[in-house]
Amino acid sequence: MSNFVINEEFLQQVELLQMLIKNNVAGLFGGNHQSKSYGSSCEFSDYRDYMAGDDITKIDWNAYARFEKLYLKLYADERQMHTRIYIDASRSMAYGRGKKHEQALRIAAALAYLSINEMDKVSIYAVRDNNIEEVITGLLGKDEYTTQISKLNDVVFDGDSRLSDAILPSTVGYGDGMSVIISDFLTDNNFEDAIDYLTSKKRDILCVQILSKEELNPQVRGKMHFYDSESNSKFYRRNINKDIIKAYKMALEYVTGRIRDFCAARGADYMLVPSEESVYKVFFDKLVSMGVLK
Amino acid sequence: MSLLYPLGLLILIGIPILIIIYIIKNKYTEQIISSTYIWTLSEKFLKRRNPINKLVGLISLILQILAVLFIAIAVAHPVFAVPNSAYEYCFVLDGSGSMNIVQSGKTRLDIGKEKIASVINGAMGGCSYTLVYVGTTTEIVFEKTEDKERALKQLDEIEPSYLDTGMTPALGVAQQYFTQTPSVKTYLVTDKSYVIHNNVDIINVSSNAENYALSEVEYRTSNGTITVTGKATSYESDVKLNIALYFGDSAEAAAAVEVDAVKLEPADFEITADTDGFEYFRVVITNGDALALDNEVIVYSPEIENSYKALIVSDNPLYLYAALSQRASLQTEIMSPKDYGPSVKGYNLYIFDTLDSVEMPRDGAVWILKPSANLSDGGFTVQGEITPATGVKLNYENSSSSVIAMLSKDLVKEDIYVAKYVKCGLRRRFTTFLSYDGNPMLFAGTNSYGNREVVFAFDLHDSNLPVLWDYNPLIGNLLNYTFPNVIDETTFVCGDSVYLNIAANCDSIRVDSPLEKVSYLNTGSETAEIVLTEVGVYTITLTSGNAERKVFLYSALPESERRITAEEESFSLKGIPDEAMKTGTYDDLLAWFIVLAVLVAADWMVYCYEQYQLR
Repeated sequence: MSNFVINEEFLQQVELLQMLIKNNVAGLFGGNHQSKSYGSSCEFSDYRDYMAGDDITKIDWNAYARFEKLYLKLYADERQMHTRIYIDASRSMAYGRGKKHEQALRIAAALAYLSINEMDKVSIYAVRDNNIEEVITGLLGKDEYTTQISKLNDVVFDGDSRLSDAILPSTVGYGDGMSVIISDFLTDNNFEDAIDYLTSKKRDILCVQILSKEELNPQVRGKMHFYDSESNSKFYRRNINKDIIKAYKMALEYVTGRIRDFCAARGADYMLVPSEESVYKVFFDKLVSMGVLK
Repeated sequence: MSLLYPLGLLILIGIPILIIIYIIKNKYTEQIISSTYIWTLSEKFLKRRNPINKLVGLISLILQILAVLFIAIAVAHPVFAVPNSAYEYCFVLDGSGSMNIVQSGKTRLDIGKEKIASVINGAMGGCSYTLVYVGTTTEIVFEKTEDKERALKQLDEIEPSYLDTGMTPALGVAQQYFTQTPSVKTYLVTDKSYVIHNNVDIINVSSNAENYALSEVEYRTSNGTITVTGKATSYESDVKLNIALYFGDSAEAAAAVEVDAVKLEPADFEITADTDGFEYFRVVITNGDALALDNEVIVYSPEIENSYKALIVSDNPLYLYAALSQRASLQTEIMSPKDYGPSVKGYNLYIFDTLDSVEMPRDGAVWILKPSANLSDGGFTVQGEITPATGVKLNYENSSSSVIAMLSKDLVKEDIYVAKYVKCGLRRRFTTFLSYDGNPMLFAGTNSYGNREVVFAFDLHDSNLPVLWDYNPLIGNLLNYTFPNVIDETTFVCGDSVYLNIAANCDSIRVDSPLEKVSYLNTGSETAEIVLTEVGVYTITLTSGNAERKVFLYSALPESERRITAEEESFSLKGIPDEAMKTGTYDDLLAWFIVLAVLVAADWMVYCYEQYQLR
């Protein structure tokens, strides 16, 4: 398994970014993400009438002097987010010249660092067949990140991946942050149920589809017999010509469009990332323009 | 169907080889990719599922297999038998002089050959062809051959003739074929019209065209002028003909005559020009026409001879020198007998006057006057001198031989008397022109070296001959005998036989015909015959040792062949024709090659389409 490389300078720049959470964060612990409920942070939020039993230290005596009525000062509540990253660890992610898995690991590591930087908790899972393998769980703090992140190198990309079958039985949390699914999505297997399920759990969802250059713009011509890396029973045998390449591109457009539309319908974010694209561009261009980061 | 070259089917071995190559070459490139998901899905997006797409590879193979198949068949050369489809053809090709008339840039003979070639080319295989060519002679060029190529090649090699050859022998040959095989299709290719031509298809290659001709061209010279006369004819239309007289390349004089073509009567013409002698002249009709061969007549002067050198060995050559010195063509020298010896050479004529003994020269003719002793190689013996009491009168020989006729030319045969003479006995065949009492007094023949020899058995001083009128003509006749003209006239008609006088010491006679054919004549006899078969100038080269002499003669087109259109009476074959036909064969490979070319072209198109698709 090849090692992925994260540039330290890049990580320093990532620190400038911040995740935007659409749903109300309902974390158990305090953190940096503002919650819709009132809490004890320093940031003033609202007033309400005093009720018996309230903490009298939070009464705004200036307001009492003006209106002769007791008002209680309410402060915004800030909660900790739990970012869960699911990496498709099927063989298709690692086969060929595309090295999609390296791009997947780079993006996962960068997102994890971004979350850690915001005092959030991070868990990274590898999805293989219908199982979820916990690679890193409850990662918190930069020191822990530094020691734990190298575990990503231990992820084995092999076999098939059935996202829905794997994610649905797992603990995904409720309204406490973002779920990131990184995959090539080149499968007949159901992944839509997983997205629906995560949506129902009030999770912010980001689907990252990674495709290699050869998959985006195939250059092969002539009589080809393709074998599927994940299954010996799947093959494609054709005299690849101009018409077939045209049909391939239409099929590719259909596949990416279908995922994009599905995500859009559920309020999830979707991003297509070529495997050769720089992570810097992914984070500072694409994710920022999509509104996932700011 | 049968195959001409069955071994050609061995090429079919190429088909399995082709299939093996195809299998090897057409192997799919195997490759493992991350996912076939999109590739499989792309099948649903193929706009038009053209069934030919699946067969493109196979179509190429099928086309190549078919191409190999057709190559094998073409090489094997299949022959299909077609019953009752082949004819037996007999062509009679008129090759007479009029077939040289040019129509649209081609001679009638060439047009006729093309017509025959087109019949042969269009005929089905299995037909047989016979060609009877009526040229200089009637000959069967090819007989009952089924080989088209050979027939066409031999047809192409036929050369024109210039004679007025009769069609009777050809009719006989055609009749023979028709009698043997009544189904034979007989074609007569000619420029003449035949009123009756039963069982014969006439292919007439004539068309109306102008033709003018010269005939009966003669000349006379007088006081430095030459007058040329002759007749001019136009065979198609009334016309004014311009006739020019050429010496060499420049026209010296010209005349114009009106010719009436309807009456077909030749018009007389006469052209006069100044000349101080000529080697040859040409009379030319300058109006252009279809047959140029009869527009020109070339006349060579028979009097043109090389100059001769004569040596008189005598102490008293008065009479001889007087007679010979006036001959323009003769350069005469005199030498004393005591100066003469074997070293003296280089003369065409040696005249020995009353010498006792002399060695016979080898390089020239010899005249001997009153030999007093036997001469080696002379061909006669001297039996002593006789002095009659009175002069005796010599008798002229009256035989009809050509030599006597030559020697008697222009003589009035006055009485010749001699006071003394030598009695001679002839050991070789001489022609005696004058005699007395059975003794030869003037005789001529050849000596041992083949040179002409004239012997006077008397001294001119002992006779009255030098003072007679006949003296000069007789000396002239003797010179003509000594130096005979090769030919007496120079203008002939094609088909004529020309007889050449051959000098005894002539080594070879070469004849160059107008069509540059070279032939050599036999020099073993006194005359040689040439049959003129071409129109134009014949060059005859006679070689004697190192000496070379050229004689020219002109062969004109026969008048009967000058007609543009002519009508003959009949060319009919007797008998009842039979419609039975032979079994023909169809072996044309063109169709196979066309299919082959289409297959190869289609294969290339498929290949190009493949490359276009894969680009």
